[in-house]
Amino acid sequence: MKLSERIVAWARLKSPWIILFNSGACNACDIEVIAAITPRFDVERFGILAKSSPRHGDILVVTGPVTRKQVKRLRMIYDQMPEPKYVIAMGACGATGGVFRGLYHVVDGVDQVIPVDMFVAGCPPRPDEIIDGVVKCLELMKADMKNGGKAWRVKAPAPAAEPKPAAVPGTEVTA
Amino acid sequence: MPEVVVPIGPYHPALKEPVNFKVIADGEIIVRLELDLAYNHRGIEKAAEARDFVRVVPLLERVCGICSHSHTTAFCKGIEEAMGVTVPPRGQLIRVIVAELERMHSHLLWLGVAGHEIGFNTLFMWTWRDREVVQDMLEELTGNRVNYGMNAVGGVRRDIEPPLVARCLKRLSPLEERIRKYADMVRHEPTTLARFQGVGRLTKEQALAFGTVGPTARASSVDYDIRRDDPYIGYADIPFDVVTDGQGDVFGRTLVRIGELLQSVRIVRYALENLPPGPVRVNTPRGAPKAEVLSRYEAPRGELAHFIRTNNTDKVERLDIRTPTLANWTSVAVSLVGSNLADIPVVVAAIDPCLSCTSRITIVDPGRRQTSVMSWDELRAHGIDFYRRKEGV
Amino acid sequence: MTNASPLAAEDVMKAMEGLGSVDRARTNRLRVIVSPERVREAILRAQGSLGCDHVIQIGIVDNGRVFELHYHLTGPHRTVVTIKTELPRDDARIASSHDLLPPAGIYERQIHDLFGIVFEGHPNLQRLILTEDWPEDEYPLRKDWTMRPDRRYGGSTPEGT
Ligand code: SF4
Repeated sequence: MKLSERIVAWARLKSPWIILFNSGACNACDIEVIAAITPRFDVERFGILAKSSPRHGDILVVTGPVTRKQVKRLRMIYDQMPEPKYVIAMGACGATGGVFRGLYHVVDGVDQVIPVDMFVAGCPPRPDEIIDGVVKCLELMKADMKNGGKAWRVKAPAPAAEPKPAAVPGTEVTA
Repeated sequence: MPEVVVPIGPYHPALKEPVNFKVIADGEIIVRLELDLAYNHRGIEKAAEARDFVRVVPLLERVCGICSHSHTTAFCKGIEEAMGVTVPPRGQLIRVIVAELERMHSHLLWLGVAGHEIGFNTLFMWTWRDREVVQDMLEELTGNRVNYGMNAVGGVRRDIEPPLVARCLKRLSPLEERIRKYADMVRHEPTTLARFQGVGRLTKEQALAFGTVGPTARASSVDYDIRRDDPYIGYADIPFDVVTDGQGDVFGRTLVRIGELLQSVRIVRYALENLPPGPVRVNTPRGAPKAEVLSRYEAPRGELAHFIRTNNTDKVERLDIRTPTLANWTSVAVSLVGSNLADIPVVVAAIDPCLSCTSRITIVDPGRRQTSVMSWDELRAHGIDFYRRKEGV
Repeated sequence: MTNASPLAAEDVMKAMEGLGSVDRARTNRLRVIVSPERVREAILRAQGSLGCDHVIQIGIVDNGRVFELHYHLTGPHRTVVTIKTELPRDDARIASSHDLLPPAGIYERQIHDLFGIVFEGHPNLQRLILTEDWPEDEYPLRKDWTMRPDRRYGGSTPEGT
């Protein structure tokens, strides 16, 4: 690794910049993220800064299910971020759509639109859990740096799957 | 100078619920406003028709995470009215306690956000620190910091034990002191005076004509508060004052909200001290008979209306929600016309819109064919800078 | 403002004479049922002789047969006056009331977007709620609406993202 790369890596790990994007959340997740910035939890002491332009961000925190109107915008924000970029999906909604799963104007979880590196559970997650999620994401970054990219995380394809049992009537998940 | 079109949104870091609006400006002065709402439209009203009452309550809690108790209370009291069920007094007062704590957390949050918009970040940090006291109380009372899961059709799901009552009462006095301090600070701080006074003014006639509700209306001396005018869940027996103000600008709205914070402290204290014994919930039938209810509720941002139609089943036939932000939105468009581009963040924040995250503004200058992109933060910075040059604050 | 006494059913009956029947939907809510053409007249009368100065909501119900519009108005008397009308499903159109009730403009846009009711004379009846690439002729809150598998509803590509 060149010296400059080492400095960049060090800076990224010591002071990740976060972008918050509401893709259709109920606001509870957002205010908990903002609460994490304020004096009680104060993420700034860990060097974590909240920024508003995606071009400056290292970690994109997405709250909520993705509504149809926000799909394009979420994509755009993700594309504008510089590499290496990491995505944290907040809450039950970010993971699967939560209570909003299957409604006509949402496309469920964030991973339907952009690749997600970390899910934080809860509805909404507490600020301390959010901080924990970001710190875990930093560890992931470190591991990625060691392995030279995100490719190592992809598991080898599973051996040919056994034929699925027919779905029990009435349990199919409909979109 | 030629007219410029300034689309704002849909992302914004401090407000909630994404909204995009196009500002047509002539130089620094705003000429017209067009809006594009509902980036957060998820289809809750349709889903409410497909789920039974028990499952609709958690869904409605998530219409908005800040007014979560408002939506569930409005819905539950509507369904209870349709069923002809009365909630026991203890359950009602617990609802009031949570509702007023929610109002406090929402108003403190607003005060912080408004402070942030004018570059007064100290206020932001202070109010949010005090807000954590309210959050602690809510967590102890309900089990969660934000989406409380407290309401159910027929009452509330948790009782309050006496030691908890004592703990909450002890926390109220320091909080009240802090709120008085903010009231004092806002009245004397040059920054707030320069940025709030005379900005986004609405006369009483305008406030009435444009259908404003909540603190926005009350700051224009419209004396309208559902808690008093159409009392629900026990507000009829609770002593409190409706705070109004005659100034009609952002400063007036700030004073009204701070006044309401003090009233909320008073209501919570009264309710905690006068909790009657007894059950907190009654059993309700599964379905509701055919009925049509307009359930109104004074949410932190203003009057919230749920129009509920039931039809003998355990699902609603129709649930029509009118949120306070939608009612106040017309007035924003009006009060911004003729004011400065630099005032947009404050005026928009002053109705406490449920908007959401991160804003991006594209300035298109048709005369010079220039396009530049401005984030909400840059607009905020522009506003702060503009006033620094102009007024030295 | 609050010293004004609540409206009695007789007051409303007198004000709405010849427009339609009045009944009491709840202790402080009175309902007038009028035909769609006379809604504007009813609103004017409510504003005039009943002193209503605030529109709470324009509620809409699709009951499977017709669309019901409920204009909930109130005033210093704090009694809710509901003006109810019914529109046929196949040709749902009604005169806009944005000039009588300024906030109605935005409520009507919302209703138009979700239910497809045309408000004639509305200056800006554009999309407000749904995503830009939602199909033009589909109105999701209608009772008979379901998602069609052969259509795209915006936001997602055919591959499923
Ligand atoms: S996870 Fe829960 S709190 Fe977060 S956006 Fe979804 S519903 Fe709201």
